[in-house]
Amino acid sequence: MFVLLRHLQRVRREAGLPRRSGARSLAARHVDAGSCNACEHEMTATAAPQYDLQRFGLDIVASPRHADVLLVTGPVTVRMAASLRAAYEAMPEPRLVAALGDCALGCGVVGAGAELAGPLDALLPVDIRIPGCPPAPGAIADAILTACFPEPPR
Amino acid sequence: MSPDASTRQGAARRDVAAADWREACAAALAGGGRFCGAFADRSGSRRRWHALFAEGADTRVLTTFPSGGELPSIVGLIPAAEWDEREAHDLYGLRFEGHEPLRPLVAHTLDTASWTVPVEGEGVHEVAVGPVHAGVIESGHFRFHVVGERILHLDPRLFYKHRGLERAAEGRELVEGLAFAQRACGACAVANSVAYALACESAIGLVPPRELRRARTLLLELERLYNHLNDVAAVCAGVGFAAGNMAFAALKERAMRLNEAISGHRFLFGSVKVGASALELSTSAVGRARGELRELRHDTARAWREIQFSPSVQARLEGVGVLGHDDAVRLGAVGPAARAAGVKIDTRAASPGLWYGSSFSAVVPPGARGDVAARLEVRALELIDVFAMLEELLAGPLPPAIAGPGSAPRALVVARVEGPPGETVCAVAQDMFRVERLHLRTGSYANWPALAFATAENFLPDFPLINKSFELCYACVDR
Repeated sequence: MFVLLRHLQRVRREAGLPRRSGARSLAARHVDAGSCNACEHEMTATAAPQYDLQRFGLDIVASPRHADVLLVTGPVTVRMAASLRAAYEAMPEPRLVAALGDCALGCGVVGAGAELAGPLDALLPVDIRIPGCPPAPGAIADAILTACFPEPPR
Repeated sequence: MSPDASTRQGAARRDVAAADWREACAAALAGGGRFCGAFADRSGSRRRWHALFAEGADTRVLTTFPSGGELPSIVGLIPAAEWDEREAHDLYGLRFEGHEPLRPLVAHTLDTASWTVPVEGEGVHEVAVGPVHAGVIESGHFRFHVVGERILHLDPRLFYKHRGLERAAEGRELVEGLAFAQRACGACAVANSVAYALACESAIGLVPPRELRRARTLLLELERLYNHLNDVAAVCAGVGFAAGNMAFAALKERAMRLNEAISGHRFLFGSVKVGASALELSTSAVGRARGELRELRHDTARAWREIQFSPSVQARLEGVGVLGHDDAVRLGAVGPAARAAGVKIDTRAASPGLWYGSSFSAVVPPGARGDVAARLEVRALELIDVFAMLEELLAGPLPPAIAGPGSAPRALVVARVEGPPGETVCAVAQDMFRVERLHLRTGSYANWPALAFATAENFLPDFPLINKSFELCYACVDR
């Protein structure tokens, strides 16, 4: 256990992340609308010690009822469209929608037209666009923080 | 490790009359074949139904023709064919006599409540979860039938992410079809792409030379490295062991950065091509990669020791989500889940189109109890081998390589490659260098029924842990 904690301490030191400034928080809910899972991997990586997005008060919450921002991945399959809309409608206002990755933005390699209801902005108002296949964890962190906090935290 | 002389990823196909279908499949099993998938396609206006049996490095293909869409079912003989038959019913309208009830799998024509297996009895109730989950998880629906806290039966309903990738690939040139195999799944992109490339090359009569086999094997092991590190982190998260979760998440991130340094992409996308190598490494590049891998190997071993000798963590893993040896074989489990149950199968041991030599042997942990602890241990043991293999694969610079002519072209080819969650089986039927049919059956597809089986009798709150110990993809199952 102590070996692990020392190891993590070293990783954090090497990453040299700036401290968070000010009291802010953001609750995010993720909906996978047909992604290849790479965007999910990168979103999970934003919590890894090298990025630690949680230090800005950003947290993935279990229910859309608790969320400020909806992070949507994938080209939006026909079968996920209703669940995606239900998640969006369950969110309190004000609410933001982020299209995470090229598929959600409608510029990925996707599939048969009959199976797709997307891209995302055909269904929901998109506030944040995060391009990439998949976007790297640093890019996800930057995009969310820039869009959600008026002045980017130092 | 030494590359074999023969590089033929073969498939011998034989037509069987529908009336003899069960007997032919039984004979293939009796002859030592391992069922590794079945799929439907169209030849002109006729529908065909193929069953695949792995025999060493070869894949035997049995083909039959339904009369009026009707065929005898083989699920009584081969329970592992259940999902394949349901999929063919949904997508190709085939009906399987003796497969009762033939519930929809890919098609979402029924609401989940009437779709699920009816369960009755005192104190039985249903818990519906998904398709949207609480964490950053892929979409899928789980229908648990529980008594109190204990799971009686689990019906996983996937295919919410069905993008019609196989259909979208049809009619395209073989070279273009690769994008669909690759984007089926981010975490198994290399395994699926290599299987597709090997199938295409074999179909058009090309043979990959030594350096191409080496490049692909390097990519496959890099993919296994980051996936296995990720899976150890996930199991730690599943028992609330934050220090282990974060330590392995940090190790995985280093592996991703190494992927980017080697291939230009964190998930190694775009590093596999049909007929050629898309990877070229200089002496200094392989030297730097070896250096980083040595440090990563050292830190991984240290972090793993801490998990191994943490009694409070181990106590949460033992005896949970057991998949026994016989059930693993019966349900056709593959990959780390099968090896953790003591089933010694690893497609790397029979992959002449790649760099693994005849000395390669599947890793089965001592005891092989088939529980969460065993599935975690398999990955830790395989990581040791992955580091050793990568050291050897990166021993020298990697020059460009092109596949050369060497065998007769064929219309239908099956290639099998060991990906992180198990064997990917890729079938490609081609005509004039265009895809007539692409079928991907990944390790996750093979293992989902085994995962559902292993959850029975466990406590409902342990499901996330059991799920993480299998760590199956939804994306490459749904396609």
